[in-house]
Amino acid sequence: MKPDTVVNFDVALIERARAGDAKAFERLYREHVGRVHGLCLRMTRNPDTAADCVQDAFIKAWKALPRFEARASFSTWLHRIAVNTVLERRRGPSKAEVPVEDPGEYEEPTMVLDTPVEEEELEAAIESLPQGARDALVLCGLYGYEHQEAASMLGIAVGTCKAQLHRARGLLKERLERGVR
Amino acid sequence: MTTRRVKGIGELPRDIPPSRDLWPAIAEAIQADLAMKAVPGTGRRVGWWPAVGLAASVALVAVGVFIGKNFKPDEAPPRLVNTLTPASDAGMVKASLRQIEYEKQRDQLWNEVQAKLATMSPAEREKVGKSLATLKQSIQEIKDALGHDPANALLQELFVSTSQEEMRVLTTVRDSGRQEL
Repeated sequence: MKPDTVVNFDVALIERARAGDAKAFERLYREHVGRVHGLCLRMTRNPDTAADCVQDAFIKAWKALPRFEARASFSTWLHRIAVNTVLERRRGPSKAEVPVEDPGEYEEPTMVLDTPVEEEELEAAIESLPQGARDALVLCGLYGYEHQEAASMLGIAVGTCKAQLHRARGLLKERLERGVR
Repeated sequence: MTTRRVKGIGELPRDIPPSRDLWPAIAEAIQADLAMKAVPGTGRRVGWWPAVGLAASVALVAVGVFIGKNFKPDEAPPRLVNTLTPASDAGMVKASLRQIEYEKQRDQLWNEVQAKLATMSPAEREKVGKSLATLKQSIQEIKDALGHDPANALLQELFVSTSQEEMRVLTTVRDSGRQEL
């Protein structure tokens, strides 16, 4: 699954924003803020921290716009900045245990449940996951990034990303079966 | 959150709008960034600086050259010191007096510059006038940003350096006829 595609009308806005047009950048912000916030909220599990990360990410994006390559996806670029911002806020690598074993073959990141659960229950189960597993699940399972891209955003090896996702799926299934709340 | 039932993480919403509008804080940072870029030596030069440089070809000494070569120590424009964070009550009084003196001299300089502008050709007047207006606007934007965040050391420093730059430019314009070009 591709996370997003380049939206053509973004290109004109990006060009205007690059030239210093704050209004154009505001339109980009309005268009992308929901997704960036969703990503930050799921990674930080804290609405205030997520809001701070969103603000920082957009400010960094504004400053880095001259370096943005028009051929790339703006939203992927923005997400990368947002993930970096969240990681910086955590001050250093996760203290959660990181599995070293690589499950090998590529796993389909989308997880289908046998029985439907309430959206809120699933969000709570994701929130309860250890940091590393949650990051991999959010980026690969929810936002559709491939392991390579997610691993690069998180600054981890592809194998570690796969292992974290594998672990996340196992824990999620287990927690949903016994009821998270 | 809703109580919608889902069968997988792929069904969860990717977009989660923040509970409050985060744009005003981002816009403020962008304005500060734009103001900083408008100050020579602090980033990409936009607006007034190239215009002042162009005016050099007719009547105005290029500000960059002027600052480097034409100021003798006894001719230096009145200096503005950082009066924004005085350490004591006595310091506060002294700082206020310095500020009043500075503002008086600056107002006088602006009047002299207005008179000088009247002697310039329409093309020169337009170029120099636009440059000065942009400079004035940059200072106002920094002042506004400081109004929201008075303890911001970066903004304070920016305000002082931009105000000093304003004095240099005004002196340059006022004295332009006296320079041998």
